Parts: sequence; structure tokens; C-alpha cells
Amino acid sequence: MSAQLRALSAEMLKLRGTLALWMCLIAPATVVALYVLQVSFSKIVPRPAPDPAESWFFFTQSIFVLWSFLMLPLLVTLQSALLAGLEHSDNQWKHLLALPVPRRVHYLAKLLVLTGLVLAAFVVLLLLIPVGGWLLVLLKPAFGLHGMPPWPALLKSAAACFAASWLIVTLQTWIAIRWRSFTVAVAVGMSATVIGFLVGQSERFGHWYPWSMPMQVFAGHGEHLPFVVFAGVLGGLVVTALGLADYLRREIG
Amino acid sequence: MHPAIRTRGLTRQFPGGFGVRGLDLNVPEGSIYGFLGPNGAGKSTTIRLLLDLLRPDSGEVALFGQPLHRGSRQALAMVGALVESPSLYGHLTGRQNLEVTRRLLDVPRPRINAVLQRVGLLDSADRRTREYSLGMRQRLAIALALLGQPRLLILDEPSNGLDPGGILDMRRLLRQLAAEDGITVFISSHLLSEIDQIASHVGVLLAGELRFEGELDQLRSRVKPRLLIRCDDPLRARDLLAASGEIVASRDADTLVVTLAEKSEAQLNRLLVGQGIEVSHLAREVASLEALFFDLTVDVPMENAA
Repeated sequence: MSAQLRALSAEMLKLRGTLALWMCLIAPATVVALYVLQVSFSKIVPRPAPDPAESWFFFTQSIFVLWSFLMLPLLVTLQSALLAGLEHSDNQWKHLLALPVPRRVHYLAKLLVLTGLVLAAFVVLLLLIPVGGWLLVLLKPAFGLHGMPPWPALLKSAAACFAASWLIVTLQTWIAIRWRSFTVAVAVGMSATVIGFLVGQSERFGHWYPWSMPMQVFAGHGEHLPFVVFAGVLGGLVVTALGLADYLRREIG
Repeated sequence: MHPAIRTRGLTRQFPGGFGVRGLDLNVPEGSIYGFLGPNGAGKSTTIRLLLDLLRPDSGEVALFGQPLHRGSRQALAMVGALVESPSLYGHLTGRQNLEVTRRLLDVPRPRINAVLQRVGLLDSADRRTREYSLGMRQRLAIALALLGQPRLLILDEPSNGLDPGGILDMRRLLRQLAAEDGITVFISSHLLSEIDQIASHVGVLLAGELRFEGELDQLRSRVKPRLLIRCDDPLRARDLLAASGEIVASRDADTLVVTLAEKSEAQLNRLLVGQGIEVSHLAREVASLEALFFDLTVDVPMENAA
């Protein structure tokens, strides 16, 4: 087994007894539950039989926007801080980096695990969206949901949103590993998310700002989708290269 | 045979004059090497340089003849280390902590029980390490260092914060590792009494420079015997002794320290009593490393007996 895979399996073991996996369940569940509750309590003017496809689109779109605008960047922030915090707390770096394995494996293992956790959260979201929808079929028939959700569209949106979020995954990984303090990683992630709240709504700048790239997948008629997917992946690779170069030079005081 | 550790001109400076300069360490294989120095002398810096956690400004490190630097870290496969405080994941058990490192090192699973047994932690292996006492944490950290079957163990102040029982246990463990497993042990300390008990070789670091390196016995033989004197009038006694050509210093208000040279303790006693001074205590100081340390601190010339 390569050193990288071994580092990855060591990383998985460290997650035992932490909230990392729970957060991948709680974050998407909160978003779906919140939206289902909102619809359940809202007054809907009865319309002549709304088109189920249109209702599903509206339903999934609303959840994705809430998810990508707020919950996703905050989830990435917290998970990255948690993963790096495992090594900062007792300065485990001095133990890890004195082991005869290439230094890069520790950094890349963190990045891969964070990517995996975010992916897991997306999968949970994908599974919970129909569940939420079917609840509304029962609770709020007037909303117009009916039958199966539009799976192809749903999968495409989720995949694009995930790819577009990889740039912030790599950025937060770097920041959280680079600075010992939990506060730095959380402050950057929170501020960037709040800034994204404004910038993300801008027609001109929204798709240029890393923290609002995931959300741009759903802006307008999806005209920024190719760009933010491309930028998310390519930007992520550049940031990973830079972060890794910085990490390899790092000294452990 | 290559020495376990060999450094040449190892230098790493920090702002404010801290760091180490021109270190030429020679740690023979199979030795227990005590690396001594007061706090701030640069012991931790040296250890971090020996593990490639810090990069030197200049100079080189070789472990068992294999050069070690950022571009070539394979030599670390022969080393187990405990740098400062133990690095443990508090939410994992002792066994899981070992398993994390085992996966990274890719050593066989039975090694975990072997090292747990070695450090006497088998019974507590399945408790979370956040519940461990400091002594147990230190022992688990040594188990972590032993996991990869190292030929060299580098320990940074492993007795720090241990109670006397814990210190004794640690000493016994280190002796066993050297005697039974043939592991070279490099151990830093500012507690001289600590090293005195176990080391075969010592290096003394002062203000970033190696001031002595050699066998412990060589070091002991260099200690000049000293006489501690307590009397009713230390000030006058001090003047009298100084006037007769003795090297004399005050340890505290009541105690004088005389470095014995030509006159014996009986002669000095007679000198004082003859002048009407009542001597209440007169004894040779046990030749401890403390005393030697004092000598090295005072005598400026660099000496290297290695």
C-alpha cells in the first residue's frame, strides 16, 4: 500500500469519536428540514394543478441555494478546522513529520479526507431532497410536488456544485493547516461566507469569488455553471500546489 | 562503524542570539548519550535539527552514516523520537494512537502489543489517552517512538513533569532498551542528576555551543573536588582563605565553597580554627555533574575530550 493510502487510512482512524461524520449528516438535514418547515407553514395560493416537474425544480433549487450560499461554506470551514485541529492541539506535527514518510502525504491526506467529507454531505443532501419532497406531498399537497424527483437534473446540479466548491475546500485546508489557531480558520471561513452573501448576488462579480462559486451553479439560467466548475477544479489544483509547497518548506518550532 | 549521530558544523540561529552554532556531535552506536544544558541552551533546536523538523543554516547531519536533509529523509526510518511533550490524540485510546502511527509506518500489527508490553501499558491500552496520567502519556509516547523498531531513540527531556516514581520507571526502561535491545539512546535534559544515573556518554551544550563531549567518566575525572564550609563568621573566613591563596566563593549566606588545590581539608580547618573561627560543618562535595556544570560555565576555554 502506498504511503499516501496509508496516511489516508490513519486519517480515517483519527476521525473516530469526532463529530466530523455527524456533521455530514446534520448539515444537509438541517437545510432540507428548514425548507420543508418553511413551505409547510407558508400560505400557498391555490393554483390550478401546478406542474410537478416545475414544483420539483423550484423545491430542489431553493434547497440548493440555501445549501450552497450558507451551509456548505460553513461546513467546509468547520470540518477543515476540525481536521487540522487534531494535529495542532498537541502539536502532533512534530511527531508526524519526524516519521520516515514523505511530508506531503500528511497534507494531501487532510485534503482528501475533507474532500471526501464534503462529498459525503452532498450524497446525504441528494438522498434527503426526495425525502423532504415526499413529506411535502403529504403535508402540503398545494405545493404541487408529485411522483419522483428529476434525478438527472438533481445529479447534475449536485455534481457541478460539488466541483465548484473544491476551490474553497483547498483554500480552507491550507489556512487551517497553516495557522495553529482554530480562530483563524473559522474567522476566515465565516467572514468569507458573509462577504459571499453580498458578492454572490452580483451579476458581474459573483462567479469570480471562490466562496460564492458553488451558488453560481444555480444563478440565472446556469450560464456561469461551466466557468465555476472549471474555476473550482483548476483553482483548487493551483491552491493545492501552493499550499503543498508552503507545507513542505515549513519548520516545526 | 558509523556513529549513530554525527553532525558537522551544525548551525541554526534565531533572532535574539538563540540557536546553535557549529555543533560537531558524535554519538557512538550503543551508547546512552546524555545531552545536557540549561534551559535555552539550544537542546530542543538541536533535536529538531536531528529530525529534520528544522532546517540548518549550515552544517550537516548523518544518522548511522546516512545523510539527513529535506531532500533525503530515509535515515529517519532508523529513528524513534519523543520531542518535548507527548503528541497524542486524546479522543483515541492508547492502542488506537499506536495504530495511527502503525498505519503510517506500515509495520506488522503485533508490534503494537509488543511495544505496549515494553512500556508496561498493556492494561491501560484501551482507555482514552485523555484519561492518562502524565507518566502514562510519556510511556505511550515512547511506545510510539519504538513502533518502527528504531536503532536510535531521540528523547527530549522525557522526565519532564514526572514524579520520582515515574522518573525511576523511565530510567529503568531506557537502561533496558539500551542493554537488551541494543538501541542507542540520545536523551536531552537540564536535570544533571538525571543523566548522571544512566548515561555512558555526555555532551554539554551551553549558549548554543558544545562545550564538552566524551565519556561520563572522563567528565567526572575533570571535576575538581570542592569543600563546603559552614562557620560562625563566614565573611572573615572567606577573607582568610582568600588571603592564603584559596579559590573561595559563597554559596549562600552561611556556606563557603572552596575548590581544593594544594591544601587538604584538614589544613584548611586548622587555618580557620587557628584564627578563632568556629567551624560547624566541613565536608567534601560529592562530585556531581552539577559541580562540573558550574566549572564549564565559569571556565571559558572550549574543551573537547572526544
